[in-house]
Amino acid sequence: MVEKSKKPEKRIGIKDLPKEDLLIGGPPTCAGCGAELGQKLVLKALGKKTIIINTSGCMTLTPIYPFTPFKVPWVHVAIETGGSAATGILMGLRAQKKDKNVNIVVYAGDGASYDVGFESLSGMAARRENVIYICYNNSSFGNTGFQWSTSTPTGSMTTTTPPGKKQPIGNIMPRKNLAKIMAAHDIPYVATAAIGYPLDFINKLRKASEIRGPKFIDLLTTCPTGWGTDPSESIEINQLMVQAGLWPVYEYENKELKITIEPKFIPVERALLRQRRFKHLKKEHIKKIQEMVNKEWKLIRQGKYMEVEMY
Amino acid sequence: MKDLMDGNTAAAWAVKLARVKCVPCFPITPQTELIETLAKWKSEGKWNGEFRTMESEHGVLAAALGAEMTGARTFTATSSQGLELMHEILPIVSGTRNPLVMANVSRGISAPITLWSDHNDFLSVRDCGWLMFCCETNQEVLDTIIMAYKISENKNVLLPSLVNMDGFIHSYTRMEVDIPDQKKIDKFLPKLNLKIKVDVDNPLSLGVPVMDEYSFFRVNLHKAQLNALHVIKKVQKEWAKFTKRKYDLVESYKLSDADVALVGMGANATVMKAAIDSLRNKGIRAGLLRLRVIRPLPKDEIYNMLKDIKKIAVIDQNISPGIGGIMFPEIKSCLYDSDAIVCNYVAGLGGKPISQQIYEKFALETLKTKKPFRKFVI
Repeated sequence: MVEKSKKPEKRIGIKDLPKEDLLIGGPPTCAGCGAELGQKLVLKALGKKTIIINTSGCMTLTPIYPFTPFKVPWVHVAIETGGSAATGILMGLRAQKKDKNVNIVVYAGDGASYDVGFESLSGMAARRENVIYICYNNSSFGNTGFQWSTSTPTGSMTTTTPPGKKQPIGNIMPRKNLAKIMAAHDIPYVATAAIGYPLDFINKLRKASEIRGPKFIDLLTTCPTGWGTDPSESIEINQLMVQAGLWPVYEYENKELKITIEPKFIPVERALLRQRRFKHLKKEHIKKIQEMVNKEWKLIRQGKYMEVEMY
Repeated sequence: MKDLMDGNTAAAWAVKLARVKCVPCFPITPQTELIETLAKWKSEGKWNGEFRTMESEHGVLAAALGAEMTGARTFTATSSQGLELMHEILPIVSGTRNPLVMANVSRGISAPITLWSDHNDFLSVRDCGWLMFCCETNQEVLDTIIMAYKISENKNVLLPSLVNMDGFIHSYTRMEVDIPDQKKIDKFLPKLNLKIKVDVDNPLSLGVPVMDEYSFFRVNLHKAQLNALHVIKKVQKEWAKFTKRKYDLVESYKLSDADVALVGMGANATVMKAAIDSLRNKGIRAGLLRLRVIRPLPKDEIYNMLKDIKKIAVIDQNISPGIGGIMFPEIKSCLYDSDAIVCNYVAGLGGKPISQQIYEKFALETLKTKKPFRKFVI
């Protein structure tokens, strides 16, 4: 079932990308913001005929009246309505026969996708809407200053899971695995990606745009202010998370899981201890996290990672 | 064409006649038959819009907003708890100036749970920037939904409309309804042409954050509501020309020489009218002011109709705990320099039946009193 990473046949290289940026300079996001970079890559991959639906979060602040850096239609909707607003926009365009070759993209944070907007995301998937849903995942409620979301990994400090005497590990909960939940909706395309590997992400976006039906991509984005990393290290830290096996990068279609970035499995502490959010971790915590990673990859290697019976 | 139909079917007919393109929906008693009718027509090919059952009412209004934002005429309907769940999105629809139309089939809000009608759900929308219409008959439901599109879509208004009918009394009771000719409606209601919309050929950023301009946009909402007063009058006049059915911002029933006036709204206004007739037969000069447009509140019309009447009873089929009836202070504010004695009855909550005789009693009590009072029918 599981293939080791090899190059896909029609892989898009950096030279195949348009020079024009559809997200131009000027957005007031933090230096080194991974979500902002993700947005730029989405438009590089999908082009002008793309509608971005943004749910309340960091990326809502990309345009501020009366200025906008977007050269495509961009709509901000309430935090929990990404999937439903996308359905509405699709309905409106279909009713006017304007939906052909248009990419309807939801670009929502992990709090908006994993937690408060999960119902609308699940509804959209269940109704088989032709939408690309991208979760930009900074593993927290980032815009409000780094609070716990169900995407926060075990051991992460957040302002609502501060490490203390009684709970020295910080966040004790395991991360909710939204990509697996979306795969269980039996939708045609589910993938994870990381901004440290832009070409991998772009290839997945291009593929998604050619598939009809709901598509879900969970994109790991570095958050320098929340993760406590230097803005200049955003790409490197993101790559370390992948290389340690902490963020499996794969795609899942036709019941097949394909690892698209094969990690080197560096010890997890090499990725974790570069970030302020994990600095409090003691040896036993790191050991525990390493065990969790090993267990997750064992399932991947055994081809049991996505196993859900559909009747 | 005339037919006997309930309020839900009348609303569905209005949707069809207005050539609505998108209907996202969610079932809730007593509104469900409205969306079932549209689903059936869609399946039979009698109505060809986009139809979706959403994951919640919250999702319904978010989808309706999305659909309307693309420039497609959109409708939805809800009731009670469904409207409460939509609340977060209500001011977003008006704030982004999207002229969609929604029907509310009013039902008392939980807890305790009830299926029967009162106006607490409907009136909870009063600060959300929507135009609000409260209907008395099924014919009025059909007429108002079609007119609401023309009013909402006017370039000086561009606000959503909420059209209320009473649960059960309207939604499940058949009345004679005249269905206007499609050709005449097409002439009355041209195709929607939104200037600001989601369009890949003309990319705009919509629903963006603002800094200093917040007050500017919020005050503009109020100005658009005031503009709607003139637009509603104009559209209702045009409607009367080809349907012979006249509507006004408020309805005056035998008020001109009245000594005592009842002020009410919704289906119960019909019972109130019977009470007025009965009192008149007994030689008591009573009248009724029926509230039809709740937002914008037609203050001048209300003042002009009530200014010479010394005894007034506002009948609220709703309750705002801590203040009493909701419309009572609103009516009082319209009469700020009048020396009339204005009383308040909170009656008919959760569909509690109020008979013609009880409305007569309300009028007589109000006529006799020397001091204003507030009473609650339990």
